[in-house]
Order: sequence, then C-alpha cells, then structure tokens
Amino acid sequence: MRNTARVLRYAFASAMADLRATYTWKSWGLAWLLRMLFQVTLFAFIGKLIGDPRVVEYLVIGNSVFITADVVMLVCASTSWERMSGTLPLLVASPAAPFTVFTGRSAQWLLDGLACSTISLLVLPPFLGVQLPLGTRLAVVPLIAVIAVSVYFFGLVLGGLALRAMAARNLIGRVGSIGLMLLTGVQVPVSFWPTPLESLAQLLPLTHGLGAVRAALGNGSASDVLRGIALEVVVGVGWALVAAFTYWRLTASGRRDGTIEFGG
Amino acid sequence: MTTAAVRVRGLTREFTRRRAQPRLALDAVDLTVEEGEVHGLLGPNGAGKTTLCKILSTVLLPTSGTALVNGFDVVRETKQVRQGIGIVFGGERGLYTRLTARQNLMYWSALYQQPTRVAKARVAELLERMGLLERADDAVETFSRGMKQRLHLARGLIGDPRTLLLDEPTVGMDPVAARDFRSLVAELRGEGRSILITTHDMAEAESVCDKVSLIDGGKVIGTESPRTIGGWMSKYERVRAQGVPEEVRAKLRALPGVSEVRVEDDEEVLVSVDAEGAAARVLRTLVDAGVSAVSTSRPSLEEVYLHVIGDRGLAVR
Ligand SMILES: Nc1ncnc2c1ncn2[C@@H]1O[C@H](COP(=O)(O)OP(=O)(O)O)[C@@H](O)[C@H]1O
Ligand SMILES: [Mg+2]
Repeated sequence: MRNTARVLRYAFASAMADLRATYTWKSWGLAWLLRMLFQVTLFAFIGKLIGDPRVVEYLVIGNSVFITADVVMLVCASTSWERMSGTLPLLVASPAAPFTVFTGRSAQWLLDGLACSTISLLVLPPFLGVQLPLGTRLAVVPLIAVIAVSVYFFGLVLGGLALRAMAARNLIGRVGSIGLMLLTGVQVPVSFWPTPLESLAQLLPLTHGLGAVRAALGNGSASDVLRGIALEVVVGVGWALVAAFTYWRLTASGRRDGTIEFGG
Repeated sequence: MTTAAVRVRGLTREFTRRRAQPRLALDAVDLTVEEGEVHGLLGPNGAGKTTLCKILSTVLLPTSGTALVNGFDVVRETKQVRQGIGIVFGGERGLYTRLTARQNLMYWSALYQQPTRVAKARVAELLERMGLLERADDAVETFSRGMKQRLHLARGLIGDPRTLLLDEPTVGMDPVAARDFRSLVAELRGEGRSILITTHDMAEAESVCDKVSLIDGGKVIGTESPRTIGGWMSKYERVRAQGVPEEVRAKLRALPGVSEVRVEDDEEVLVSVDAEGAAARVLRTLVDAGVSAVSTSRPSLEEVYLHVIGDRGLAVR
C-alpha cells in the first residue's frame, strides 16, 4: 500500500516534470488557457445568437466544466507516449503494477484541466452577461475536481486501448472527448437524445457531476447536488475498475502475442 | 549449490503471423549462465537474441520449454524474477527524454520499490559512476548517444539486480563510447553480478565475456571460450589489395589456407583464408610482389558461422 503510494507519487512527479517541459507559464497562459477560454466564449455566442439568456448560462457552465474533461482526456494520448518512448517493456518488466504507474503518469492533466475550468468560471460569466455569485462559482470547484478524476479513469481505459491500437490512438482520444461533449449534457440536456444514448450517458463520467454543478449554480437543492456528485463518484469508481482490468489485460495479452517490443 | 543466474531448457517461441507461416524465433534453446559470469550471446540479426531477452525479462511468454532467472520461473514467478533483474537495450529509446537524468532514475527507483532516502543516495552514486553527475539535471533529450546509453545502464542498475540482461547495448555507439561501456560491464562483473549480453560483434564478445554462446536461426549452436572467438577472427581474416597482377593472384590461390581469391568490380582483390597464419602468408606474398595497397579486415559473423558450422558438419538452419 505504501509502495503503491510512492509509485503514484513519483509517477506523478514525472508527470509534472513532463508538464513543465511542455509549457512555460507564459505559453500555458497565452496559448493553452486562452484557447480554452475562446472555446467557451464561442459556444456562449451561439447561445447569444439564439437570444435566450438561459441558454447562454447553460452553455457557459457546461463548456467551462467541459474544459476539464477535454484537458483530462489528454491522458489517452500521454498514455500512448509510453510505447513511443520505448519504456513500455521496461515498465512491464519492473516490479510495479502498470495500472498504478499509468494512473500517476498522466495526472498532470487533472491539475491543468481544473485550473483552466476554474479560471473560466471565475473570469467569463461577467463578460458574457451571466449573473452568478462569485461565492457559488468558487464552491463548485471541488465538484469539478471529482469530475476530473472520474473522466481521468475513463480516459485511462481509452489510453489502454490506444496502447493496443497505436495507429488509432489520436482518433480514440478525440472520439472519447467529442462523445463526452455531445452526450453528457454539456451543450444540450441529456434528455435531448434518444433513449439508448440517454442511458449510455448515465454510464459516462461528467453526466452526473455536471448535473450537480448545474444544481449548485442554479436553484437545485442540496440533495440534488449530493446525489449528482455521489453518482459521479460511483461512475468514476466503475471506470477505475475497468481501467485496472484493461491494463492487466494489456500486459497479459502483450506477453502472449509479443507486442511489447524492446526499444519499440 | 548456487543457483544459476539463467537456466533455459528446451525454450521455444513461435510467432504466428498474418497471412504467413508461423515463425520459429527460438527453437529448443538450452543455455546456462552461471552466477557471476558474463555470458555472451553472439548471433547475427534475426538469430533470436532479443526474443530470448524478452522471455527472460518476463515481457514475452515462451511457447514451450522453461526458463529460470535467479532460480525463479519467468512464467509463474514473474514478481520474483522482476525484482532480481535489470534490463538494458541498445539504441536511443527507453528513456523519458523530456525529464532530466536524475528525474528518470528517481522515477524508476520508485518503481523498484526503494525508500526515497535510499533512492536519492543510489541515484547520486549511479550518476557519478556513469560520469553523468554534471549533466544530472539536464533534460535527457540534450544528451549524446553514449550518455543516453550510460543512463540506460544506470537505470538498469537502479534495483541493484543480481542479474543483468543487456540486449545489444553498444549498438550504434561510437568506438570510444562502446569501449567505455565495456569497461563498465567488466566492473559490474567485479561486483559479482551475472550478465547476459547479446551482440553481433565478435570483438565485443571476445573482449567482455567469460563464455560465449553462438546463436543462429533460433538455435544455440554451441558455447565457446572468448579465446576461440578471437582465434576465429584471425583464422578467417580477410585481406584486400589493389593492383594485384594476374600471376600474383594465381600464387595467392596456391597458398595453403587460402579459401578464396575474389576479384571485385573495382579490380580490388579480396582474399579469404581459413587457417591460422594464412593471412600472414598472403600479406607477405603481396608485399614481396610489390603490391602496396593492402589492408586486412575482420570476417563477418555470417562468414565465420558458415565456416564453423561447416567444419562441424552441422546443417545450416
Ligand atoms: N513480434 C514478432 N512477430 C513476428 N516475428 C517476430 C517477432 N519478433 C521477432 N520475430 C522474428 O523472430 C526472429 C528472431 O528475432 P529477434 O529475436 O529480434 O532476433 P535478434 O534480436 O537476434 O536480431 C526474427 O526472424 C524475427 O523476424
Ligand atoms: Mg535484437
């Protein structure tokens, strides 16, 4: 147990080192964050075209929270880097469990995504004419953190698939991300979709958590918020179990068919 | 009784391939690496060296046969096997290039379950030993090939393994870096570690190994002393010369121990020998005839294998 914690910690430390090597504060703020804020603003303007302030509010909240999911879904790509860097066989041959390592290895995105969402929620609503008290906007940040974690495990599952099908790795990540954006109540309510898709949405991360955020920011009751976030946790744990199984399978079948290449 | 570092019996690995016959990468291989020994696995490309290393490092399952590392079974006792081995393969890959050397090593030390305090000291010691201390906090992507390879070796040593598996570790290195690397291997042997090192370079096998097993087409042909390998390199040496008149060529052909005198496109003559001292006779003959553009080169591994296998009356493949 203590060992697992240390593996997680160091895997996370290298994830952060990776992040620092990818961005400087300036490039993060000027390129990455701005891009995310533009994305939210763009969708808000669609709401303005429709001319209903409630739609604008719906879109600003949905898209601000979705930033976290969008960034966290990069776990799918960064997981597949492990094969490109040639470290996969070394990882499998080490005494550590690949699932633990992969869980820590991309956790930089959790912080990155959460930071982008928080800033979006703090900065954008006043500009876009959405009236939300600052206090409640800050109060939903912990809810978004829960969402980030459940999306993360979902992304880890897709990352495990990407490791098996490297040619499709970017496609898998994009489809996952767009799927979440369309189905989980970001742009349109979940009830907009035909029943099968609506049911699917109940199993996806983000759906229930975003519901909780909307309840907290609107006039939902405390029990609505709690129920939503509890369901988000349940969904997150479910995906964590699927992820653990995915990485166990990845190693087992890789050993059998010889796809864990030395230096490749 | 001490357990052998590596004990392989009847090890076979078949790869199934799409729209093609299955490929037998290893064919009933027997191999023993005694404790404290540097054992070379010498073979040309495609011989099965990497396949064997992968099986020993638990990332590939054998089709049949058994393999024990430090006395543990690579199929059933993966946990114990993994704790006792270090793996190094050649080439640029296998490192996190955006991280620094120190970050790479700290990361792996956590994976090898070392307490942080121990890890810090061990990482510093390994960096020092590999001559990387000054660049310890630079990103690995700024390193030269030789430095990356030394970091790779440091990484392989992070768990203080009893047995090291080195798969063509010096491939692509410049001669100086390769020589340094070999002296590190000799040091590790001095610490009592057992080492299996694969190579296609006879000179490398001769210079670092206690024993050398020859592998080709997935089969181990035999195990020899490095001396014998060295002997083959001189026995089957090649002599190249330019501007050799026809009558001198005839003379060369008649010399004892000369197996072939071939004229290449550019009028260069290539003389192959298959007896001790024959190369010296060829050189003397050429010099006596006034031919001055003369050089010698080592035989290729494939040529030597043809001779050796032929001499022993074994069928190739
Ligand atoms: N994953 C694989 N699928 C199919 N064939 C493979 C695979 N890995 C290796 N082989 C084949 O097995 C043989 C031995 O390969 P390898 O062990 O890599 O040789 P070496 O390391 O000695 O160059 C080669 O013919 C190679 O093409
Ligand atoms: Mg190889």
